[in-house]
Amino acid sequence: MHMAECNEFISPVKINSGNKALEHIPCELDALDARKPLVIAERGAAAKYRIDVLIEAFKDSGITIGIFDEVPPLPSLLLIKELFGIYRDRGFDAIIAMGGGSAADTAKVLNIAVSGRPEDIDRCVGEDLIEKHLKPLIIVPGLSGTGYEMSRYAFFDSRSYASPFLVPHLAVIDPRTAIPEDVLTTSASTLLGLTHAVEAYISYGKNLLARAYAYAAIQLTIENLVKVIANPEDSKGCVALANAQALAGCTFSNVKAGIAHGLGNAVAKEMGLPPGVCMGVLLPYILEKRMSECSHDLGELFLPLAGFDTYAETANELRPKRAVDIIHDLIGDLARATGGSVPQSLKDAQVPRQVLPEIARRADYVGLDMEGAVSVLEGAWRGR
Amino acid sequence: MDVPGYYEFCSRVRIISGHNALEKIPEALTRLTAVKPMIVTDKGVVGAGLIDAVLGAIGNSVSVGALAEDVPPDSDLRVVNNLAKTYLERGCDSIIAVGGGSVMDTAKGINIVVSERACDLMEFSGANSLKRPLRPLIAIPTTAGTGSEVTAVAVIKDHDKHLKMLFVSNFLLPDVSVVDSRMTSTLPPAVTAATGMDALSHAVEAYTCLAKNPLSDAHAMAAIRLISDNLLKVTRNPGEMDGRLSMANAATLAGIAFGNSMVGMVHTIGHSVGSICGVPHGVCMAILLPYGLLYNRHKNGHLTAELLFSLAGPDVYANTPRERRTDEVIERIRKMNHDLRDATNGRHPRFFKEVLDREGRQMVPKEKLQGIAKTALSDGSIFYNPEDLDYGDFLTVLEAAWDGEPLPGNLK
Repeated sequence: MHMAECNEFISPVKINSGNKALEHIPCELDALDARKPLVIAERGAAAKYRIDVLIEAFKDSGITIGIFDEVPPLPSLLLIKELFGIYRDRGFDAIIAMGGGSAADTAKVLNIAVSGRPEDIDRCVGEDLIEKHLKPLIIVPGLSGTGYEMSRYAFFDSRSYASPFLVPHLAVIDPRTAIPEDVLTTSASTLLGLTHAVEAYISYGKNLLARAYAYAAIQLTIENLVKVIANPEDSKGCVALANAQALAGCTFSNVKAGIAHGLGNAVAKEMGLPPGVCMGVLLPYILEKRMSECSHDLGELFLPLAGFDTYAETANELRPKRAVDIIHDLIGDLARATGGSVPQSLKDAQVPRQVLPEIARRADYVGLDMEGAVSVLEGAWRGR
Repeated sequence: MDVPGYYEFCSRVRIISGHNALEKIPEALTRLTAVKPMIVTDKGVVGAGLIDAVLGAIGNSVSVGALAEDVPPDSDLRVVNNLAKTYLERGCDSIIAVGGGSVMDTAKGINIVVSERACDLMEFSGANSLKRPLRPLIAIPTTAGTGSEVTAVAVIKDHDKHLKMLFVSNFLLPDVSVVDSRMTSTLPPAVTAATGMDALSHAVEAYTCLAKNPLSDAHAMAAIRLISDNLLKVTRNPGEMDGRLSMANAATLAGIAFGNSMVGMVHTIGHSVGSICGVPHGVCMAILLPYGLLYNRHKNGHLTAELLFSLAGPDVYANTPRERRTDEVIERIRKMNHDLRDATNGRHPRFFKEVLDREGRQMVPKEKLQGIAKTALSDGSIFYNPEDLDYGDFLTVLEAAWDGEPLPGNLK
């Protein structure tokens, strides 16, 4: 008998997506046995606008909400201390994170503190050290997050946490709040999700459930990203992209990070660029490398990228290359649509060629040797 | 890929799947901080040696608090209350449900009683009456069909009051589902066939009815592909373990799909045939599925056409002219029923007239069709069907599905 490894999957987040989704939050809070949420948002005009929409949505609910909209881009533990006091002293029983990025990370770490004891935020740093369900956490994602909002990860003040209990209970995607801020961050968050989804889809474990989420994330991204960059008012497209980002986050919680993730992060760190953009620029070159080793899985990747008709009409042996071409074209189209703020190559991103070997050496990834990594980076440096 | 104007999706069950997934139960219990589970199952499962397999896999590391092996096929409130009493008396702290739909429903009912200390289960019936997590529940399905290991629903009958209580809450989702090929490897061919077609009907209706969404679509497509590749194979060759695992995975995927998109008329009519004539659910699904697709085709034929890709593969899809694809899907599902009938020596029925009980009598006498049509009118699942049905429409579909005739051309 063939004894395959066990496959495991969990995605604890409930997704409410679409028109008036925000108006459902009071009812969802009730289902979570919560009645007084603390809303946490980054400082800035974009978050202010979203909070106004949220307040309007709560108007007839009879629920009192607390609002803290002063989260800085790089918050420190002092902020958690302050928020912990507010949450405890004013009797809050749930957290709503408005928008992604540091607001979501802050919300997750605060939730560790308020669900147990404050010192848990030290004790739980690392992998799987949270032992029980946390208090209700709702996230209302925008389109400019880090891409990790829906995942089991939290990154805060140089600490990282990983636990299925960090996944929000509910994600609320509403056309009024899933709005782009600037083309670079929208591209970066979506490309980070796409990279995670693609690497999950072709990962060797063949996790059927992770693949179902990845399939939807990939297809929604390909169909909507360039459209939304060209026309940020395309509200249906924006909701679709927010869905894509969310589903990619669910996928990423369940698979090992891939090579594009690892190398992309290393490039981003070295150059101070958004990680999602670096992963996106590298992704087609990593797929090309993979194609030379095992093309079958890449052929399957052509299905969510191209759809039933094109997939079926394309000869089997052509599918892997066509799949990679679609990703190449996506990055090219994005570069054009953003007037170059999404670079098409590492050269365009001003990465000095001579640092590539150093980046390959520092990066955290498995499945590729140094030489392979450098050749991928070289390819991505030259571009097409 | 269409994103609907509004949708909700929730599938927070941790799914462990594999040829040796049972061995993960102790670790799963530990993560749930449970040490003394009650095992809930039925005689059929015990008789097939499956509880031995479960106990063998979990070994000595877990002390089983109670073993309830008598859940009847037609479980009810009294069974639930009795077993809840046992659970509390023995100091259990979690439930492992091993079985099909009736066992899962019973386990979910017990869990409500013991978690909420409920004297009257009725208080918690309806939608979203539960407000907090219940005790840990691990579900181990023994048929590859119902998907109840991943659904947020339980139905408990009250035979004394002649009531059927429906419970809907995400808190009814099991914490963990353990999908192991050994649990379905002894299913007889006819049961394999019917339950497999049940899973297919979940996936097909999820993809073609009104509450579909990107995630339910992705789950449904994956399920259909697995069923199409494996159902006939494992019906012919029950010990084919990779095929069994694929079918069990397909049933779980299809369960997640329909649990988050709802179903349509195939289920509406199937529920009624089941409750009036006692026909196994999967058998009703197998018979009605082609008729549901036919009846709705002028509304959702384009979606049915897309299923040809998962059902028959890219080559057939590409070589079938666009306008022929819907018919081809319906034809292939009919052919699956024919092939399954051959593979089960005539035990798998294709039409209602072929459904026989142990004595060889017809279980669905033609004169009962009117009563079935009437009952179907008050089934909530019709809400998500693309096309409306009145009494006459139900009856026409039932008569066609009884004889194995095509639907009359002037219908819809």
